[in-house]
Amino acid sequence: MLGKKASRRHVVLSGLAALAGTRAAHAFGDVGAFNPRVVVAGGKRLSGPRSTGPASWSMELVNRTSAPARLAPREVSLDRPELCNEPFAIWAGDADVGSLSVAERRGLAKFIRLGGVLVVDDSDPAQGSFGRSVRRELLRVLPESPPVRLDPSHVVYKTFYIVERPVGRVLGPPTIDAIVRGKNAQVLLLSHDLLGALARSDEGSYSLPTEPSGYDQRQQAMRFAVNIAMYVLCSDYKDDQVHAPFLMRRRAQAR
Amino acid sequence: MIERGFGVAEGVSTALTWSLGVLLAAWLLLLVLEARSRKVSAWLTASGVLTALLVAAAILRPTRVTSRGADLFPKVVVLLDRSWRLDLKAGEQTREQVALDALHALQKQLKQARVEVLGFGEGPPAPFVEAEAGAVERPTDSDLTASLRALSAAPGERPKALVVVSDGRLTSPNEAATAETLKELGSRLGVPIHTVSVASSAPPDASIRKVGTTGAAVAHQKLALELSVGCSGGLSCDELPITVEELLHGEPPAPLAQGVAKVRDGVATLELPFTLDRAGRRLVRVRLDAPEGDKVPENNQRLLTFDVTRERVRLLHVAGRPTYDVRALRMWLKADESIDLIAFFILRTNSDATQVSDDSELALIPFPVDELFTEHLPSFDAVILQDIDAVEYKLERHLPALARYVRAGGGLIMVGGPSAFMGGGYAGSPLGEVLPVTLPDRDSAPPIDMASFEPRITPAGRAAPALRGVRELLGERLPQMLGSNTLGPLRPGAIALWEHPDRRAGRDAMPMLALGDSGDGRAIALGVDGTHLLQWSELGERSAGRAYGALWEGLVGWLMRDPRYESARLELTHECRAGAPASLVITRLPGAAVDVKVTLERLGDAGAPPAPPKPLQLRMEGDVETATLPLGALSEGGYTATVHIGSSPAARFDFACESGGPAFADSRPDPSLLERISQQTGGVSLKASEASSLKAPPPTHVESQRVVAPLLPAWIWALLAASGIGAHWYARRRAGLI
Repeated sequence: MLGKKASRRHVVLSGLAALAGTRAAHAFGDVGAFNPRVVVAGGKRLSGPRSTGPASWSMELVNRTSAPARLAPREVSLDRPELCNEPFAIWAGDADVGSLSVAERRGLAKFIRLGGVLVVDDSDPAQGSFGRSVRRELLRVLPESPPVRLDPSHVVYKTFYIVERPVGRVLGPPTIDAIVRGKNAQVLLLSHDLLGALARSDEGSYSLPTEPSGYDQRQQAMRFAVNIAMYVLCSDYKDDQVHAPFLMRRRAQAR
Repeated sequence: MIERGFGVAEGVSTALTWSLGVLLAAWLLLLVLEARSRKVSAWLTASGVLTALLVAAAILRPTRVTSRGADLFPKVVVLLDRSWRLDLKAGEQTREQVALDALHALQKQLKQARVEVLGFGEGPPAPFVEAEAGAVERPTDSDLTASLRALSAAPGERPKALVVVSDGRLTSPNEAATAETLKELGSRLGVPIHTVSVASSAPPDASIRKVGTTGAAVAHQKLALELSVGCSGGLSCDELPITVEELLHGEPPAPLAQGVAKVRDGVATLELPFTLDRAGRRLVRVRLDAPEGDKVPENNQRLLTFDVTRERVRLLHVAGRPTYDVRALRMWLKADESIDLIAFFILRTNSDATQVSDDSELALIPFPVDELFTEHLPSFDAVILQDIDAVEYKLERHLPALARYVRAGGGLIMVGGPSAFMGGGYAGSPLGEVLPVTLPDRDSAPPIDMASFEPRITPAGRAAPALRGVRELLGERLPQMLGSNTLGPLRPGAIALWEHPDRRAGRDAMPMLALGDSGDGRAIALGVDGTHLLQWSELGERSAGRAYGALWEGLVGWLMRDPRYESARLELTHECRAGAPASLVITRLPGAAVDVKVTLERLGDAGAPPAPPKPLQLRMEGDVETATLPLGALSEGGYTATVHIGSSPAARFDFACESGGPAFADSRPDPSLLERISQQTGGVSLKASEASSLKAPPPTHVESQRVVAPLLPAWIWALLAASGIGAHWYARRRAGLI
């Protein structure tokens, strides 16, 4: 459970492994906390160093922002009703996901139609087979909503940090594609191995090196991850008119 | 009465009679000329005339007509002006008393007529019974045109004359009516219109004669009040101060505008712009500071009712931290085109390590707490405080203003979370006073409870229209909540819709969702932070997530007084006039038999009343949807009626009772208009004191029996005519004229 802010900020990264290994105690104030649940589809689950990425994502969010987050995110299957218990999930992998079962397709469609946000994170963007297979399956589930390129002015680039482009463990393409329904980008298709940038070892060190650069790229990846979390929690809050003059001024300063 | 006379046989047309007359005259002329030129004997001429008459009689066949009948007194309709305005003085008496005296004089004078007395005002005239006059609602207007139109369209006997008894200050026709318009009034019935004027001189009076508005009454948009001020009866007027105020519940009147009417030639016009921030029924008082000597104080003020609408509901959503609950509420609010949402979420606390070299790398703006809760607060229709710590985010110093905002008609929703209610420092604060629940002291109870529970719907929750949508989708079930805020017992008049199944607040179950009125505003306390589970849970999925929208639509709708979410529709049976009995019509949704309690309070009275008003009560049986509740005779002022129907949330209705109202707006009588009406319709115009000199129209003879008998059988007339022709022919032959 997450208590007051003061207690959260003292959570040390070295405790991540221990936290990840326990079931989070959901309680008052925690029910609406950001929870990067990892999608299990076709029996394929996230393994290896990237499996610590979601917990690290939560930790970064808690340490950097006022948002509460679940420090021990759990897996969720596309064909389980629990998928629709929260509005966010991340689907990561490095290989073709194969063909989704009817129950999985139905569950995914229900999740999207309820307004959920799904981040698809290709762990091996150089090969791209995971990303392509997920796009294929999404097209079967949501044939009326093909992915489109998100404009660089999209709110996901300014929900907390002002970021210029998507970044992960790899630099990847400068833009992201998304499935936009109504005014909301509900499926973000990343080719940047975001969980790879966030993954940490039991000792707290980063598990995978960033490519091509080092510290700065990882920081940018973390900022982008925080922005995605804030997009999930606040939707297009930063597109509100009241923020416009501030953001324009800050972008000008940054340049 | 029997009348006798002569006629011609049935079937003889007028043309035939005239033709015969012409021929007869020609024949007689020829006889006369012949007699002069040929010196014929007088006997021959006489036989010629006799023959012609006999021929005419054979053709016309004369008859004897006997008729029986009676002279009926003419019908005279007296139209008595029934406007409140006749309560104004005419000398020592009221114009009403003068009118009644004139009526009595007319009834005495028109004994040779059948007098029907009708009262006129608005719409068709109604029979006037003096003994029952006090019990009948009196109109504001004096619409003579509508009355005459109704009389001319009515079946039955037409009157022979109309008599209008009034002071002449008619709504229609008015002083600007042309001669043609007035002439047309009489031509509808084709009778003269006599008039009796009950007042001739204006009292010394300064008044608000006319109130008009430019622009619609839309919340937050400027509205201009166009005032016409008059000064008459020799009263000395120069500059008259005018104030415009809004009447509020439990608060002193709020000034809206003020100005000075500069009177020239007895009149002044003035435009006073003002803004009403709250939507719904709003009462505005316009007051004129009349000079000394004013004899009609009733028309120095007007109480106006504005049904203020919104173009869009303007909501301020402030959240202490971003969560799925915040996300769900924001997305629902943003999806509703009728809502203009201004949102501020705390995204970073002072203790967060954002890992930036400077703030320009962040897309964050300072929380403009001072600006929001001072300068901009009145522009919002409602404020949603979601899990925000009042102390940490410096909201604490604005809580008194926020409480005043609610009492003045604003809406407030406090949504639960660790930093809401007690946890956010609201216990013991002025804002805590306007919430529908009390908040225990921080020392007496923990601010939050961690135990999971499913909120229990209360009987009021089952009856509340605000929760109808959720009930229709989910029935009695609600999602499991992971803990709750600690809320105290309900404040008087507040209603709990959800309660905690295990926790207690005093003797009762702890309210988890409570609604209540506070002054002119409304507030909602929601002691959980998981309403998004109505969308994001297995239970929520059953309704495809629609239960979440249904809940918030109901709550925001109730907060904004949307009639769909009120437990009853309330209206007066008629315009409320000070001193006259008023009645409230209560219409509810069909349902079980319930007790109804109505509390009536004056608006604009600051501070608590010395004693709580005694509620009026009635019972509505199961099949009864509408009931009328007498409120008694009320004094001048603005009122709010709060109606509790069974256990449902209270419905509220604001209304005004005026002493003078629009009827007293112009106290000047207009005898010249009455004179013009009489002149144009062929009637006579009299003063009230001269009513006894009015002459009745002539009586009407009505036949009840008519007997027509021939003087002689037709064959005898034919025989006589033939004999006459023969005799005349023989006489001519003898005289050598043939």
